Amino acid sequence: MLARARTFTIEGLHARPVTVEVDIRAGLPAFTIVGLADAAVREARDRVHAAILNSGFQFPARRITANLAPADVPKVGPGLDLALACAVLAASEQIPADLLDSRALFGELSLDGEVRASHGTLAVAEAALKTGFEMLVLGPERAREAKLVDDLRIGVVERLSSAVRVLRGGEPDPLPRAARPASGRPGTPRPDLGDVRGQREAVRALIVAAAGAHNCLLCGPPGTGKTMLAQRLPSILPPLTRPEAIEVTRIHSVIGRLTGAQLLSDRPFRAPHHTITTAGLIGGARRDWVGEVVLAHNGVLFLDELSEFARPTLEALRQPLEDGRVAIVRARHSAVYPARFMLVGATNPCPCGYAGEMERCRCTEADIARHRRRLSGPLLDRIDLLVNMQRVGPEVLRGEPITSSARARELVVCARERQAARLHDEGILVNAHLDARMVREYAKLDDEGDRLLAGTAERGLLSARGQQRALRIARTLADIAGSERVRPRHLSEALALRPDSELSARRAA
Amino acid sequence: MSATLDATASELSEAKPASRARPVAGEGTQVGACLSCLRRAWLLTTLAARLDYRSRDLARSWDLLSLPDEQLIDAIGGRRRAEIHARYDEFDAIAHAERERSSQPPEQIGSAQARAEQIGSEKMTPVGVEKICRHHPAFPGRLRDSTLAPHMLSVAGGVHRLAGMLEEPVVAIVGTRRATDHGMETARYLARGLATAGVTIASALSEGIPLAAHCGALDANEASITVTAGGLGKCSPAHCRAVYLRLSREGCALSELPLGAPARRWSALARVRTLALLAQLVIVVEADSNPWELACAHLAQRLGVPIAAVPGRVSSPASRGCNELIMAGAALVRSPQDALDLLYGAGVKRAGEFDRAAEVGGQLDPRLARTLEHIGAGHDTLERLTATGDRREEILTSLLELELRGLVVRGDGGRYVPCGALPTG
Repeated sequence: MLARARTFTIEGLHARPVTVEVDIRAGLPAFTIVGLADAAVREARDRVHAAILNSGFQFPARRITANLAPADVPKVGPGLDLALACAVLAASEQIPADLLDSRALFGELSLDGEVRASHGTLAVAEAALKTGFEMLVLGPERAREAKLVDDLRIGVVERLSSAVRVLRGGEPDPLPRAARPASGRPGTPRPDLGDVRGQREAVRALIVAAAGAHNCLLCGPPGTGKTMLAQRLPSILPPLTRPEAIEVTRIHSVIGRLTGAQLLSDRPFRAPHHTITTAGLIGGARRDWVGEVVLAHNGVLFLDELSEFARPTLEALRQPLEDGRVAIVRARHSAVYPARFMLVGATNPCPCGYAGEMERCRCTEADIARHRRRLSGPLLDRIDLLVNMQRVGPEVLRGEPITSSARARELVVCARERQAARLHDEGILVNAHLDARMVREYAKLDDEGDRLLAGTAERGLLSARGQQRALRIARTLADIAGSERVRPRHLSEALALRPDSELSARRAA
Repeated sequence: MSATLDATASELSEAKPASRARPVAGEGTQVGACLSCLRRAWLLTTLAARLDYRSRDLARSWDLLSLPDEQLIDAIGGRRRAEIHARYDEFDAIAHAERERSSQPPEQIGSAQARAEQIGSEKMTPVGVEKICRHHPAFPGRLRDSTLAPHMLSVAGGVHRLAGMLEEPVVAIVGTRRATDHGMETARYLARGLATAGVTIASALSEGIPLAAHCGALDANEASITVTAGGLGKCSPAHCRAVYLRLSREGCALSELPLGAPARRWSALARVRTLALLAQLVIVVEADSNPWELACAHLAQRLGVPIAAVPGRVSSPASRGCNELIMAGAALVRSPQDALDLLYGAGVKRAGEFDRAAEVGGQLDPRLARTLEHIGAGHDTLERLTATGDRREEILTSLLELELRGLVVRGDGGRYVPCGALPTG
């Protein structure tokens, strides 16, 4: 007797339909699974066996062959258990097979027959809707996550016996009540900009970076609060829009990092240690492994001690910074992941950290030049904004905070709304993604501004690419100020924030 | 022993083309170094390790370098004294043999010269390197009179050009390699102003103040004289090669060592004696108060060359040496004009158009002047400038304007550094 059940496997960040075919015939008792199954799927045999018996059904003592079609797609993870068990039950004629074809099953089984959640529920739900299944049957834990997909019928089953009931045409179990919101986490207040004393200019620059999603580099001596400032960046970023949130939630769900079955509302903030490998940052170490850049999609990738990262690792950031995606090609798999993030780096200006402070820095010119070379030109080229930080005196530390996250966030949200409205037709949301043509169109200067910009080129302060960056920042500054035109004062502030890769050239002259 | 003989031979093959001396264009006399002076240069490279050790005590190392050859070997030859003496005596014999052999077929000279240049460096053999020794009439007079002076000089750029540059007053601008942005800007500003006024700038070749001084002279389209630590044909430190190449094309690079000899600790110190002897005025821009960074100033004092120093912050170690020199009676230099007054007497010669302070100061917009003044007073970051109470927007605008006019540059840690211009009221 033959039976078919429908389920999904995760490939990259998407789910791919899989048909589980089970054939039972006379022979020595055996249970084999064919069709490029990974270890977790092969172990499903024992889980399915125990779950069926413990749910009060018979496990046929005959020769059982399960085929996972299409046979050339590798199947990963334990999410295929439920479909496998139901197909075995249908093939042994313990349940009717007619509903199996129109309902997708997804979930892992415990030995006592309980249906557990599996990674990538959101991606599976999206695929189920797209494939046209009338219902997705899954465990209760992640049901809320699947519910995020509109127009999809969800059948919640707590146990294998409930799944059997649903497949016989019965009612599913009730949807569990919504858990507490994932983002709020009451009791652990997020770091707030109000904790920062002094550093007025750095805070201002951070707000500018957040408003335009500009990549920025915090540069200053140890102990000036570079890390502190960067950690407060998420608190001033606007919340994710719904499409962004679904994208981010899907990524985190596939990786199994989602806590709670809610849509994420905070932008991701990833801060890997500087010993990270290239594979750790970009991905591709294992088939179902994504790098930090992908986890930081639509959020912030914070690289503290930027100059301590391995050079090839930093170089690998160039493609994602440029294209907003990473294409990973390995011997047996290839995948394209979204990776549009805002890069925030923190570094000391020289090996000892005190460059510019005559009394303290004892690095030679050569030391400083070597330190600068560690950050490659092409990477610095993609950094729009340099935030120089200096140490602040004790009287400032006792003083009042400059702003709070709430106030800063208001500025950022307003500026982003203006940008989104202006750039609606271009298919981008923020000024950081303006290309050369758009810069010409949206960041027009008046005569005075043109004179200033031409002067910077003449003085050798800025390259052509540097001018583009300055114009993008100027556009964001105008957006923060609520000005439709880019005024010279915006340009002069933007130029004060320019990264000075040109400086090293001056020194080596 | 064979290895050392090889070294001698290569030394000789290098010495050959120069000793056969091509005539300098426009002059009747032949340029070249005599055998004894070449031998001296060879001896110094042979004794390099010992000289390095002795250079811990600077005052003594000047005495050592003044000794004649035989006495120098006796003084520092140590256990290898006899061996070095023997090789020293062989030098002449081998040199004569080489010279005779090479003098016969004239077409071989070209190949010998090519070989000699290969020994120096494959890539960077400067064009037109000439050697000249103290026995030659064209040797710079100021060096010939001193026992301390090097016996021989390799001149990239040619002896003729060197003589031309030495006709003008020579100012040596020296200082630390670990310079601050302020120091670099000041050195550049001084060199630019002095070069414009027709003064020849001389300095060592290393990062920091010396490099800034050369850049300042080149800014004014005037080339300068550099004294390298190693032999010519090899630029050390390597990252100064852009300046080195330009100077060997347009100015002069001097070395007392054979072509391609590596730079050593003693030679890096010993070159300041060439500088001090060539210069009419030594200006120390930034130096800590240790004997190495002040070597040139102390030697100049000993030789009776006037010295001057640029004052710096009392708290800054980078200016400690300069402030000490001023305490001890060195002249104080704030601008090219001050240096010109020292050279020619007060008010005799005016600094040229590159003296921006005089030029721009009068007509500077009061807002810009005010910002410039704040920066000069130590409010050198945006944070500190806004703390002075001026409107942030105005500060940003004037900063950009000042940067565009070249009156201010942004240095390490986002600090703004005034560019040689003294804020005038």
